[in-house]
Amino acid sequence: MKLRILIADDHEVVRRGLCALLQAREGWEICAEAKDGREAVEKAAQLKPDVVILDVGMPNLNGLAATRQLTQHDPHCKVIVLTITDSDQVIREALDAGARGFVLKSDAARDLVSAVEALQRNRMFFTPRVNDMVLAGFLDRGHNGSNGEPPRLPKLTAREREVIQLLAEGKSSKEVACVLNLSTKTAETHRSNIMRKLGFHSIRDLVVYAVKNNIIQVQVPATFQNPTEGSAA
Amino acid sequence: MTVRILVVDDHPVVRHGLRTLLGAHPEWEIIDEAADGFEAVDKAGRLKPDVVVLDITMPKMSGLEACRLIRKTVPTAEILIVTQHDSPHMMREALEAGARGYVVKSNASRDLLSAVEAVSQHLPFTALNGQSAESA
Repeated sequence: MKLRILIADDHEVVRRGLCALLQAREGWEICAEAKDGREAVEKAAQLKPDVVILDVGMPNLNGLAATRQLTQHDPHCKVIVLTITDSDQVIREALDAGARGFVLKSDAARDLVSAVEALQRNRMFFTPRVNDMVLAGFLDRGHNGSNGEPPRLPKLTAREREVIQLLAEGKSSKEVACVLNLSTKTAETHRSNIMRKLGFHSIRDLVVYAVKNNIIQVQVPATFQNPTEGSAA
Repeated sequence: MTVRILVVDDHPVVRHGLRTLLGAHPEWEIIDEAADGFEAVDKAGRLKPDVVVLDITMPKMSGLEACRLIRKTVPTAEILIVTQHDSPHMMREALEAGARGYVVKSNASRDLLSAVEAVSQHLPFTALNGQSAESA
């Protein structure tokens, strides 16, 4: 029986590349593609793929929030997160959301097939940096009796995180309600709860929070970037 | 007419995707790939492609700088920028650097083939998100 894979990335050229990489492998098929996290969650519910590959930086619902929804719905769901950065925070959030694989986009051509193979054998696949971080956290707990994590952010529900992303992308409460199939009043209640929990008074504060916490990703023009750094795909 | 294309992007998975999209055209040939601006300038100088499909944000040397150098060293090669930057400002910079075409990565499946077709005939092709393509 073929291994069925769902891939989600907002750039079609990346999806084409991922398809080319994965379909070259005998016995694997791409059962669906999605261009954002919301579409990925919907298609995963319908098609029950064996492995889901999610880009982190997608509009409407980012890959980390989508991972959380997928694993909440089905704790056995095998998700590989594709990311342009392996910052501590993204790693922590991906693990917390239930991802079983973590691959840097820049290394996808080298690592993605190995990652899918690992998940196929019910194992996990992480970059060396993730392994180091997990080990360091484990050792730190052993020595200090603490879990070594930074101070916890205010507890937000999965729905509130979705609302934050949509508001930070510039949508009004009415538009948020429309995307999430809620009443405008409920969307406004989510918005007030978020502002109260985070102690914010303006959407500007919310946008800064969303960027800092990788809920949305911002394009930085090449002229402002360090020329030695790689790009987002 | 055979069009010889050099594909330049720092992410192998994107290069795979560009190859797949460009492979839809039977008469086009991907002659090589490069992963940064330096490699692009070097390979363009040696291989003399008809079209260079060039990312902007890359390590070592940006696509804009590579574009300027390739236009100087291989004036017959046309440059098509394929970038994540959906920005009129960036598009202007690219055209000033000598690019003949500009396509946003998220629209690559819609615009890439038409853009290569246009620039290979030395015609301009530019398209940002929410804009229909402009070609002569």
